[in-house]
Amino acid sequence: MSHLHEEKPGNRRLCMGNEAIVRGALEAGVAVAAGYPGTPASEIIETLSALAGPMNLYVEWSVNEKVALEVASSASFAGLRSLAVMKQPGLNVASDYLLHLSGSGTRGGMVLVSADDPGALSSVNEGETRPYAKLMEVPLLEPGDFQEAKEMTVWAFELSETIRNVVLLRTVTRLSHASGTVVMGELPETEKQARFKHDGFIIDPMEGVVMSPPVEWKHSQQQEKLKQAQALFETSPFNTYEGPDAPELLIITSSVCTLYCKEAVALLDVGERVGILKLGTTWPLPEKWVKKHLATSDTVLVVEEVLPFLEGEIKILAAESVAEIGAKTFYGKKEGSLPTTGEMNPDRVVAALSTILGVEYIGQEAAYAQRANEISFAGAPNREATFCPGCPHRASFWSINTALSMDNRNGFVCGDIGCYSMAVLPAGFSTLKTLHAMGSGTGVASGFGKLSPFGMDQSVVAVCGDSTFFHSVLPPLVNAIHHQSDLTLIVLDNSGTAMTGFQSHPGLAANAMGEIAAVIDIPTVCQALGARVKVADPFEVMKTRELLLGLLDEKGVKVLVLKQACALSPEKKHSKAWEMTIDESICLGDTCGCNRFCTRIFACPGLVWDKEKGKAHIDEVVCTGCGVCAEICPVGAIGKGRAEKKGKKRASGGEVSHLES
Amino acid sequence: MQVRGGKALVSEVQEKGLCVDCGGCVGLCPYFRSHRGRVAMLFDCGLDEGRCHAHCPKVEVDLDAVSRQIPGVPYTEAPAGYFRRMVKTRAGEKMVGRAPYQNGGTVSSLLALAFDSGLIDAAALTDREGLIPRPRVVTDVAGVLACASSKYMASPTVSAVHEAIAAGFQRIAFVGTPCQATSVGQMRCQIPGHSENGPIALTIGLFCTWALDARALTSMASAEMDLQAITGMDVPPPPASVFSFKTQNGSVDIPLERVREAIPEGCRICPDMTAEFTDLSVGALEGDTTWNSLICRTAAGEALFDAALKKGYLEAAPMDPAQAAGLLKASAVKKARAMARAREEGLLNNAEGASALRVEPAVVDRILGGTGQ
Repeated sequence: MSHLHEEKPGNRRLCMGNEAIVRGALEAGVAVAAGYPGTPASEIIETLSALAGPMNLYVEWSVNEKVALEVASSASFAGLRSLAVMKQPGLNVASDYLLHLSGSGTRGGMVLVSADDPGALSSVNEGETRPYAKLMEVPLLEPGDFQEAKEMTVWAFELSETIRNVVLLRTVTRLSHASGTVVMGELPETEKQARFKHDGFIIDPMEGVVMSPPVEWKHSQQQEKLKQAQALFETSPFNTYEGPDAPELLIITSSVCTLYCKEAVALLDVGERVGILKLGTTWPLPEKWVKKHLATSDTVLVVEEVLPFLEGEIKILAAESVAEIGAKTFYGKKEGSLPTTGEMNPDRVVAALSTILGVEYIGQEAAYAQRANEISFAGAPNREATFCPGCPHRASFWSINTALSMDNRNGFVCGDIGCYSMAVLPAGFSTLKTLHAMGSGTGVASGFGKLSPFGMDQSVVAVCGDSTFFHSVLPPLVNAIHHQSDLTLIVLDNSGTAMTGFQSHPGLAANAMGEIAAVIDIPTVCQALGARVKVADPFEVMKTRELLLGLLDEKGVKVLVLKQACALSPEKKHSKAWEMTIDESICLGDTCGCNRFCTRIFACPGLVWDKEKGKAHIDEVVCTGCGVCAEICPVGAIGKGRAEKKGKKRASGGEVSHLES
Repeated sequence: MQVRGGKALVSEVQEKGLCVDCGGCVGLCPYFRSHRGRVAMLFDCGLDEGRCHAHCPKVEVDLDAVSRQIPGVPYTEAPAGYFRRMVKTRAGEKMVGRAPYQNGGTVSSLLALAFDSGLIDAAALTDREGLIPRPRVVTDVAGVLACASSKYMASPTVSAVHEAIAAGFQRIAFVGTPCQATSVGQMRCQIPGHSENGPIALTIGLFCTWALDARALTSMASAEMDLQAITGMDVPPPPASVFSFKTQNGSVDIPLERVREAIPEGCRICPDMTAEFTDLSVGALEGDTTWNSLICRTAAGEALFDAALKKGYLEAAPMDPAQAAGLLKASAVKKARAMARAREEGLLNNAEGASALRVEPAVVDRILGGTGQ
């Protein structure tokens, strides 16, 4: 349980960027928060959900980001302050509603937090939030440090109420997940009263119908309000300048790049020559203020992550003002000093600055750097990204992969977003052959399943997780069933939104706040839609494989739900279902001829090769006792016995190992 | 006999479309599996040599080496291989009417005696599930009778031999088509420290002109009838020219010409019609479906045949010379056609790279010369 809400005003606390945003929302008197889990944004709703009771909040993990935005907006329409939270790809999902929401306007203060992941540390994309501000014509705020993350969140609610529209707050992985000192502010004693007023004049923004028509009139209202925001930005304390009055080089930056710029300037000791213009209100630009600073230097470097969004806006402004401020030389992404992909960091800024300014910088002596490089990986085990020991996905992909091989029609799996995305790698036997957005696996498979008239005779399989199923698999599944596509959807149901930290979803009996929730049963839903449905325990690999082989032979849409909780789930933690043993008198070791099938191919981290004995060995510390490897060993040397201790026992499976059929 | 690994097997056989799903590579290791008439390698075993490659009847088969193993003579151009006797047989008084035999019931009768006399303790046979043939290890006469009748489809029957060996049976009988018999013959060449017969006590070959790809035939059949209703299959003698499914609702015929499209490519290079590398070979008798043709190749095979006659398991009669000549002629035609095709496809006696067959060039010449090809 977070104690964020117990901190007294003036207290200093080490906060993650995400916690700072939470404290800001609490200080602003937020009443409703909704989101969908996604790194690096998840901790915001997570923390708020734990404070729902003491802070009188309604917090939910919505089924997807569009619904989260809709749920949060309803609170705003009812006069409450509300927060919608998502990672950037979720903003794409929510964007259809966002377009209409920004057109209709809001009432109670409403903030949309979108977290970018430059460098794709926990994503399969480097999606950008910033262009959405311009596209949707809503203000964009970007905190540059932890204190600002809190302050800016508080102010974002005020701004939203001033302009009666949603405000976009963009954070990035390094802000959300790093920690810094934050000084606490006051928590308000607000009465949260919800009332949706809809009986006024139809186009009254506070009491009429909430809608985007009449479009042209509403649109012009929206743009007027945006100009109001822009005027406020001109004097915003979130925009700062640090450096000489007339710098040789003006750095313009925003977000955590501010910290990288400060570090680079300090490292190169060029504080006398370089000024840093830091923007907290990135769109629309506070044009007068930026122009004033542009006038002070002929040379400008724009530092930002991934695409040159800010650079483009600054250049437009400079071009428009050339008569006033003179021509500028721009450095940045377009010119090539900085890359347009990956995370920004101090090294990259240092490299750009030293070239532009002609300053040599030696971070490490060459000999030291070489030696460091030589020894940095010595002794470190070579580790590939893999599934945890006891992960149901390893067992599932084992069955899927071997079934598709045996099916022998060059079949393939359309992947989706979750831990199981790793099945593009050897961890999942390189089973996934497409990987895109959430729900796209089933959508893509729905299309593949209609290509037989063009000669395609390959078996088509899609996978999705249980949370993803609800998030965005339902529409493509309906599509596939309606169009009589030929595909097998495998729902890897590990009983939670596992990858992001076991957030609840509609298939579970509890909501984000720990209250009882209605369970929506995935097999029943699929059956009702008209799919042929089977349910299996992926730990029973041979049975699962046989079941799948049967389904692959059938036409139409088949759904196989592989149900087994994540190895890290609270219900399983610290418990073993089986006590695994290797009978060394049966294990033929190097003479088996299987060429270490267990450790080389199946490769669960809990199963290791004892080099001295030349035999397989269970690493008891790592093994979670899932029992799957007992089915993998070709000679049945791996045995599973009932775990004696606190382990929960699973209902199925025999005491003794048996041969693979 | 050059032995390579599993990956080589995949590239030299499966990827060339030569695999006939005999099961020679299946069940030896965790890597090769057969499913619905197709063999797949699940993962790369990473080994340079394997029994999978050694057993395969479609790569690096040294026909002379196998022939010397069983029946124990050099390989020649003889159309039906080496044999001691060729007669016509059918189930004797002890065996008549005990199962829906395909023809005379000779194979079931021989196996019944082999079990009853203790010659064998297990038999690797071919059963059928729906339309798909399934290898089965049986351990008694009831099991034998349950597997009676022809399947016409490629079946991984040799995997049942592996299964029986792994299960510890010591006197195993095997019944299979020429490709399967070749695989078992190569296995017997390979088993290290193999005693005279090893765990394989008896091999009975089934005549075969071609088999059918199980998936292709299933898809053809499923368009015409309910697969569950199929009780048997037959190729009636000319001039019928049909493939006949026996179903609960009567016969359903598919033109032979169409069915032939389902013949695996690997069958087209098979030079063996009568399963030459066996103790005994059994097949249909031209012009009389109530009898079988029986070929005794080894002393052991002949001894079993003699005992079967004596004990009433079999009834025998001399084969009509015209029928015998017809059988040899058909065998010679298949042999020559296969050799010619193998040579054409670059699968015979390659100096470099993999070869499906390795045969003394003089023997090849005689085979091809004998039919004017």
